[in-house]
Parts: sequence; structure tokens; C-alpha cells
Amino acid sequence: MSVQVVAAKMAEVELKDVSAGKALPAESPVTPTSEDKTLARNEPQKEAGSSAAAATSPTAEPSAKAGEGNRGLLTPSAAKMPQASALKHSDPQQNGGDAFVNRDGTVAEAPRMKKIQFADQKQEFNKRPSKIGRRSLSRSISQSSTDSYSSAASYTDSSDDETSPRDKQQKNSKGNGDFCIKNIKQADFGRREIEIAEQEMPALMALRKRAQGEKPLAGAKVVGCTHITAQTAVLMETLSALGAQCRWAACNIYSTQNEVAAALAEGGFSVFAWKGESEDDFWWCIDRCVNVEGWQPNMILDDGGDLTHWIYKKYPNMFKKIKGIVEESVTGVHRLYQLSKAGKLCVPAMNVNDSVTKQKFDNLYCCRESILDGLKRTTDVMFGGKQVVVCGYGEVGKGCCAALKAMGSIVYVTEIDPICALQACMDGFRLVKLNEVIRQVDIVITCTGNKNVVVREHLDRMKNGCIVCNMGHSNTEIDVASLRTPELTWERVRSQVDHIIWPDAKRIVLLAEGRLLNLSCSTVPTFVLSITATTQALALIELYNAPEGRYKQDVYLLPKKMDEYVASLHLPTFDAHLTELTDEQAKYLGLNKNGPFKPNYYR
Amino acid sequence: MSETAGDAKPEVKQASKEVKESENVAEKYSAMTVSKNSEINMGELSSVFSSVPTHKPVKKQIQFVEEKQEFSRFPTKTGRRSLSRSISQSSTDSYSSAASYTDSSDDETSPRDKTQVNSKGSSDFCVKNIKQTEFGRREIEIAEQDMSALISLRKRAQSEKPLAGAKIVGCTHITAQTAVLIETLVALGAQCRWTACNIYSTQNEVASALAERGVAVFAWKGESEDDFWWCIDRCVNTEGWQPNMILDDGGDLTHWVYKKYPNVFKKIRGIVEESVTGVHRLYQLSKAGKLCVPAMNVNDSVTKQKFDNLYCCRESILDGLKRTTDVMFGGKQVVVCGYGEVGKGCSAALKALGAVVYVTEIDPICGLQACMDGFRVVKLNEVIRLVDVIITCTGNKNVVTRDQLDRMKNGCIVCNMGHSNTEIDVASLRTPELTWERVRSQVDHVIWPDGKRVILLAEGRLLNLSCSTVPTFVLSITATTQALALIELYNAPEGRYKQDVYLLPKKMDEYVASLHLATFDAHLTELTDEQAKYLGLNKNGPFKPNYYRY
Repeated sequence: MSVQVVAAKMAEVELKDVSAGKALPAESPVTPTSEDKTLARNEPQKEAGSSAAAATSPTAEPSAKAGEGNRGLLTPSAAKMPQASALKHSDPQQNGGDAFVNRDGTVAEAPRMKKIQFADQKQEFNKRPSKIGRRSLSRSISQSSTDSYSSAASYTDSSDDETSPRDKQQKNSKGNGDFCIKNIKQADFGRREIEIAEQEMPALMALRKRAQGEKPLAGAKVVGCTHITAQTAVLMETLSALGAQCRWAACNIYSTQNEVAAALAEGGFSVFAWKGESEDDFWWCIDRCVNVEGWQPNMILDDGGDLTHWIYKKYPNMFKKIKGIVEESVTGVHRLYQLSKAGKLCVPAMNVNDSVTKQKFDNLYCCRESILDGLKRTTDVMFGGKQVVVCGYGEVGKGCCAALKAMGSIVYVTEIDPICALQACMDGFRLVKLNEVIRQVDIVITCTGNKNVVVREHLDRMKNGCIVCNMGHSNTEIDVASLRTPELTWERVRSQVDHIIWPDAKRIVLLAEGRLLNLSCSTVPTFVLSITATTQALALIELYNAPEGRYKQDVYLLPKKMDEYVASLHLPTFDAHLTELTDEQAKYLGLNKNGPFKPNYYR
Repeated sequence: MSETAGDAKPEVKQASKEVKESENVAEKYSAMTVSKNSEINMGELSSVFSSVPTHKPVKKQIQFVEEKQEFSRFPTKTGRRSLSRSISQSSTDSYSSAASYTDSSDDETSPRDKTQVNSKGSSDFCVKNIKQTEFGRREIEIAEQDMSALISLRKRAQSEKPLAGAKIVGCTHITAQTAVLIETLVALGAQCRWTACNIYSTQNEVASALAERGVAVFAWKGESEDDFWWCIDRCVNTEGWQPNMILDDGGDLTHWVYKKYPNVFKKIRGIVEESVTGVHRLYQLSKAGKLCVPAMNVNDSVTKQKFDNLYCCRESILDGLKRTTDVMFGGKQVVVCGYGEVGKGCSAALKALGAVVYVTEIDPICGLQACMDGFRVVKLNEVIRLVDVIITCTGNKNVVTRDQLDRMKNGCIVCNMGHSNTEIDVASLRTPELTWERVRSQVDHVIWPDGKRVILLAEGRLLNLSCSTVPTFVLSITATTQALALIELYNAPEGRYKQDVYLLPKKMDEYVASLHLATFDAHLTELTDEQAKYLGLNKNGPFKPNYYRY
């Protein structure tokens, strides 16, 4: 794996702030108080961006100044963590706030400074320090969004050619030159990658087959800005098979798989992306996507909101033709809600981040597997009989507990919410305070979405060899900063694993320096990405084909029925056979035979 | 299960569809972002409501379980009607776990004709026999052991007396658990008058223990319909006492007050309603603009829903099957129809015992959940020849049809955990070529001409109501929720609640849960000020937004 670009993934616990607005998209008018609250609650995400930002007060308004301050603090720490596998960014509040609320006009001011932490990627970092600065261009938080590329290796090293793609003239085999990628010759490699991804994305393939006859996207002109990976390529080719024309840019300067981009360009897609873009390149690519003679997009597929922002700033007239925006990331969705609240959203937007299926896969199912994977890869620990304390019993906590219990661990849970606590009790976990078990446990896992859940005092009292890791959000849950004191010795024993040695020789095993274990030390299965991609495709179809007036200028959740359709497309993977209602039964239940089967509030 | 334990388990015989009704409810609920397991209740609602007009007493069929005697004793009076319409499990089943020590048949005089006086000289009650007090007191004390939440509520709130001045008229099952609730309300400062919401569910000795303590109770086991309304009337219609709170289970009391004493509503601060049925009636009233006081729907509180469905069924499926068939689960192939909360509970329990579990579903989202939880999702037809046990929990009808019953293998066990008695098409088995053999209480062997036997449990009615018990702990959740709802409504500042149906505030729900944590010796972590600020939460909750589904 050559790159692991990683964003803060939010535990569902902290998603509540964002989804507060989402779940009731119809309720556009929001009282000032609740708005304040939302902002305050959004702080977690802000701090996802930079550990130093933790120092800022929760109510602090996002300001360039704060960003500057953070930058200063961050520089040393970024240097100090050469092994860090995460590229941390995502600063929804700041960005959301700045990008759309601060309307100082020029895009040059829009970029906000943020910390990037590199994973095995020092070279590139050194190569373009002045250009990329300390800023990340992807702000998506959702796990499947940001992590899509972590499981895919880039065969070709971008360093083999120092010429910027912008200066090169390339043509694909059909003589078309309307793209800009690293090297068109890598197309064959990329095609292989895409074919592998297709194997694990049966839902999109099925969608292609089912909908190919009717071409539900005929006439759609989709401009997209997402990670450009093999999985995205499958999505794009599906859209194309359904009749859409696509132009695509990358939503992250590092995440592009060059060979996949080449394969797409070879296939006739106008792709503008390469790995290791500068910030200037980034916006140039987006502009090239949008600003074409004789082609105007009528749909936007965005991940992080940058594309939407660009069009909004530069080509506001374009919105007249646009039928809708599909946005995947927490960040982008947050920006859309802000726009909507400000009454400035002029087209309907679809929030696919909060679809039931996607949420369950991002949190419960994914974490249930990656906790074991991450711990095994980093420490080779044996779980049977180990005493483990899991802090927080939301979706992530539930997943971790179930997996560990199944391996024979003795699991303790800490909670603040009595209802979740009662659930933990009924599921057979001892509910304790961290202090009560800190001396006896072998593993501490945090997934609260909160900060300073494990503090220095706890770390001091842990037993020798205790493993400490974070599955929750960003790097705030474990107070790692408190461990950087002279009397403690840090020893990097492998990538992502630090031993911290106390004066009395006690060692604590800290994983990923307190950042997200599942993003740093394990991979996201293509199957999860398939859920996301299918949801995106269906959202595009829904928005494009919706009769006039079904969607107003607001942010919507994917209709329940589409959500059910996403799930049903993935059932063949399990050879699962869904039962059909008989007419009589459907009538008895008052349901349509084809769904939706549950009321909207059913989660 | 002791035979004496039997009361009528009134299973409302499913009559018609009235789909419109349930849709309306769903709408109403969704409008209020009610969290609610639609699986069980949707159908039930429609079944119950189709036959409940708002005013006239309704004729319905009661199917008795181990209760033939009593049934034959009151054939003319009880007719085909059930007086309890509550569907919620903890509501309807509260009495099944408590045995009545005293047989009502020892005294044929109607309690209405007797004059009884308790030891303090008060006679403002009407129970079977005031002399059974001591038995009842013992029952209540046993129940108190398992209802530590109410007891701790008593302790915590006793000094402030949050219900001082409250005059509560209640209509619920009268069991030891209810008695604990009533005595808690009294300890918190309320005056209570109580009647039964079901003609069979009253534990006579508990009623007399309550009467002895000065609570005006009007209830006995085996009331006639006339008795039933008489008791309610006696509760409400008293000289010099007007209720200001209503605690109802099934809506009969509310209905009576509404019809007979509409003026009483002027003084009433709120209604607390427990059952699905009663809640539905309240929503109808509210829709018609006729609800003149605020009402609290405690049925749909998160905690109660989880306990009624997921946790309770997870245990009672094993219990029910063991008690009736002594089946061994390891390695058995089981198909669970439906993967809602009930299905999730059943599947988890059976998997834990080593059974091979298949799931059938109609909803792809739930289907995918089943896949991810490691269950094979199949159509019933694909596995019908293989499986040893079939469990239905869909809330639908005719999930298991005669055709499928014909193809089952010898010795297959068929039971229903879902709703009412519609899921298995039992009627289709009542044909001449099939022989029915009752092998024990609740267990029928249905024998095909070729000698194949299918084991049908509880004649297709709810297994968990017929063949297992509801733990007091679950009832404690309900009772605590009711008490808190009363406190909330009674103490709410003017204007917080309008004339509508409300859900218990999230914070109260969390309080119910926290009161029960002590049972598990669970130690809740507290947010530090810094953390609370970081999350934008109040340190004391609520911790989740209203739509959070847990």
C-alpha cells in the first residue's frame, strides 16, 4: 500500500450533530439557538482536522487567524510523526463556515490551513512542500468516502516523471485529448484494477444490467469530484452505461490512482486528476471539469463540497441548468445544510451519507471487523481471555464489543448515556467506570466521539503491556499530548505501534498515536464502498428523473425505497433470497409489495 | 407452568384488515418522530381497531387458555368480548407470571353484593375478599425485590413529594407489580383510585392488600362486563373527589370519563396511556380535535420498546420452546420468519445455543442486516423440508400456509412469536383428514394420514404469552415509565403540553434506564465539564437527539 490517506471518521455518536439537521431535512427553519448548538457540537469535526485545534474554544468562530495559529503549532508535530499513516484533514465547520458563510469572494482566500499527516509518503511531502503547504483538499469524513483508496495500491510511482501533467499533451487511442492525467500509457494497469473492483461491486454491475435497457440517465451530464479510485471508476462507467456523460476531478490531492485515471481517460472519460496535485492544480482540475465550451453539467456528484463551492463561486449561472447535487461526505452535507439554512441553496441536494444502509456499514459492520484486524496487524495480540474495556456503546462500540466477545475476550463497557448503558447490560457486558478497571485491563479501546476519555492519570495506572487504541474519532479521545513529557520514553517498535516506557520500565502500547485505528491499521473492504457507490448512483437517478416539484431547493435524504433497493442489490452477494409479500399479505399490512416496508422514522 | 397461573389470556381474535387505520397511525407516529417497532404493532392495531368503535362496547371473541372453567362460568356475560385491548406485551401479560393463590371459586357471592371493611374502617373499595390481604402483601413484597427502580424512585423523590395533591384514577391490570407502582405513587404524595383494565387479570389477594392499605380498589378476577363498567364508574364517580390525572391501559377509563363525565376533564392535567390500543384511540381523538387534555404515550418509549420486543423475546423463545417441547437446540435447523426486533432476538438466542438459523425477510434492509449478522436469508419454501423448528415473527398473516405445513418433515415444531394468531394458517389444519392430538397443555400434534406429525404450539397464538412468563424486570421498566410520565405531566409548567399526545421526553426515558442500571451494578460514567462542552451536551442528558434509534 503506497498511500494511506485518511480522514477523520466519525463515530456515529458524534454524527448526531450533523445529522440533527439531516434527519429532518424538511425542517429548514432552524432557530438561532439550535444553530449555535450545532456549531458547538461540530467542534469534534473541526478538531478532527488538527490536534492542536483542540485548544481552541468550542465556540470559537472559524477564522483564518485560528488557522494560522494552528499551523504554527502543527509544523513540529507533523515533522515529529514521520510514520503517521494518516493524512488528517477534514474541518467541516471551518470550511463550511468559511467557504459559504464568509463571502469574501476570492477563492484564494478560501483555502484554509490544515495539517496533513503523511503515511509512508514522506517523499512526496518533501517534493512539494511549498505547494501543498499544510492543507488537505478533501474534507470528507465518512469512512468509506475517505478511505476508499487505502485498500488499493498504486502500481505506478508518480515520481518517475517530474513533468506536471498540466504541461503535457496527451491523447488517448481514439485521439481525444480532453483529459489531464499523469500518464495515459498506464491505462492497461488501471483497467485491471477496475476489473478487480468490479468483482466485488456486484450491485453496481447488477444495476448496469437492470437499468441499461431504459438508460435512466440518458441526457444527464454529470460533473463529479470524488476520490478517483478503481471503485469510483466502476461507478463512473456504470453512470456512463446508464446514459450519462461524465467529467470528473479528484476531491483529494493524494488519493488518485493514476493508472485508474488513465484507464478512464482511455475509455473516453474527461478526467482531470493525478496523484500529488498542488492546491493550484486542484482548483485548475475542477475548473477544467466545469468550464468547457458547449457542455454544461446538469448534475453534480460531490464529495466534500469543493466542486459545489467552485461552481457556486465562479459559475453561479450554471445552477440554472442543474437538476441536483448528490453529496457524500459529512463535511459536504454540512456545507449544504448551511447553504440551505441561509436560503442560498438553489437546487435540490441529496444527502447520501445518512442513508441507513451506508451508516450501518460505515459504523457497525465495518468496525466490528476492523477492530480485530487492526489489533492483529499491529500487535498480534491473542484475544481469548483478555480483559478489554470499550469506552462508548454506540454503533462502533457495539461492533467492537460483539467482535471481541466472540473471540472470547472479557469485555467491559463504559457509557454516559443510560439507555445505551442498559443495552450494554442486556447484551451481557459489565458496565463500569474506566477508573474501576484501568489497572486490570489488557486493552483499552475508545469509541465515544468525545475528547480526553483516556487521560494521563489513566495511562499512569495501566498495567504493563496494556494496549491503548482509538476507534472513535480523530485523535482527541486519548490524551496523547500528555505522554510527551521528558520522563517517558517513546519507542517506535513498528509502523503505527509505539511503546511508551515509564521510568519504572512499565510499557504501554499505543497504536496509531491515538488516531483512528481502523483507518490507520486496517482496510475498508470494497463491499462497503460498493454500498456507497450504489447509493450515489441511485441518488443521481432519483434526482435526475424526479418529476418537477418533487424536490425543492433543500437537502434531502435518499427515499426509503431507494435505500431498500441498495440493500436488495447487495443481497445476491450473500446468496440471500428475499421473500415476497403475497397480494393478500401486502393488503393486510397496508404496504406496497415492492416497498417501502418501514416508515421513515424506522432506523 | 402451573395450571393455576392461567388467567384468560385474551387473544383478540383477528377480525378484519382496516388497513387505513394502521396507516393513519403510522402517519401520526411518524409525524411525531415516534420510535416504534412497527413489526408487531402495526397489524395488531389494525386488528384491534377495526372492531373498536369509539363509543359502544364491542363484541369480540376471547380465546381462552387453560381457562375453560371460567369461560363456561361466564358465558353469557362475557360473551365474545375482551375488555382488555392493550397489545403491548408487558401490558397484557403482566399477570401471567403471578399465580393467584386463592381461587375465586371459593366464594360465589359477587363482590358487589358484599360489604367489606378494612382494618381502618374504610369501605371505599370493592374486592373479592379483604381477608386475603396477607397473601397479597407477600406477593407485593416479592415484586418489590425485582422492581428496585420504583423503590429507588420512592426513596429519591419521597422528600419532595412530586405528586403531592395529585388525584390519580387508574385502570390497569391489578397485579403485584401494579401494586408496587400504586404504592410508589402514594409514597410520592398522590391519592389513588384504581380499577382493573381486564376482567380476568386481577390478582384478588393483591387487590385486597391494596384495599387494606387504604387505596380505593375496585376489581376482582372474573368480573362481568357490567361489573367492569361499574368498577370504573365507582372509581370516577365519588362524592368530594375529582381526579386530576388519569393512568390508563387500553383507553377504557378515558373513554368512560369522556362519555359520562366530560366535566371531569376540566380538572384533569393529563392522561398517561400505556397500551398500543389506548394510544391509538388517543391519536384518533386528537385528530378529531376532541382531545381536551395533554396525553402521554408511554408505550413508545425507547426503553420500553426494546424490552418488550428484543430482550423479552430473546429469552422467552427459548423458555417457551423448552417448556412445551423440551427440544434440544444444538445443531437444530431453525427458520425465523421476519428479522425485526423480535426476529433479531429469537435468532440471536437460538444461534447462541448452537442452532443453525435461517431467516426469511421481505425488507431488503433487514435482510442485509440478517446477512451481516451471519444468518442465511432464504425463502421459506427453500428450507421448509429441512427445518426442525419454524418461528414466525413478521406481524403479517398466513406466513406459514397449509401448503408449507404439508411439506414439513416429521416432528417439525411450529410456533408464533409475532402477533395474534394470524401468522400460521391454523384454520387450514382443521380438515377431516388431519388428526389433532393434544399432548400437553399448549401442545398439539397434528397428524397427517401418512403418520407425519407436526407439533403446533399454542395453536398458533403467541408463544411468549401462552407458554412463558414476562419477567418482573420488564414490568418494572413499564411501571417506572408510567410513574415518571405522571410526574412529568403533573409538574409541567402551564403550556408545556398542549392538548395533544406526547412521547415521554428523552430525558425521562434516560432516567428510567438509569434507575434500572443499579440492578446490574452498572456504573455510569459522567461527562467532565470539558467533555460536555466539547460535545455540546448537558452533563445530565439528554445525550442523544430525538430521532436516534439506539
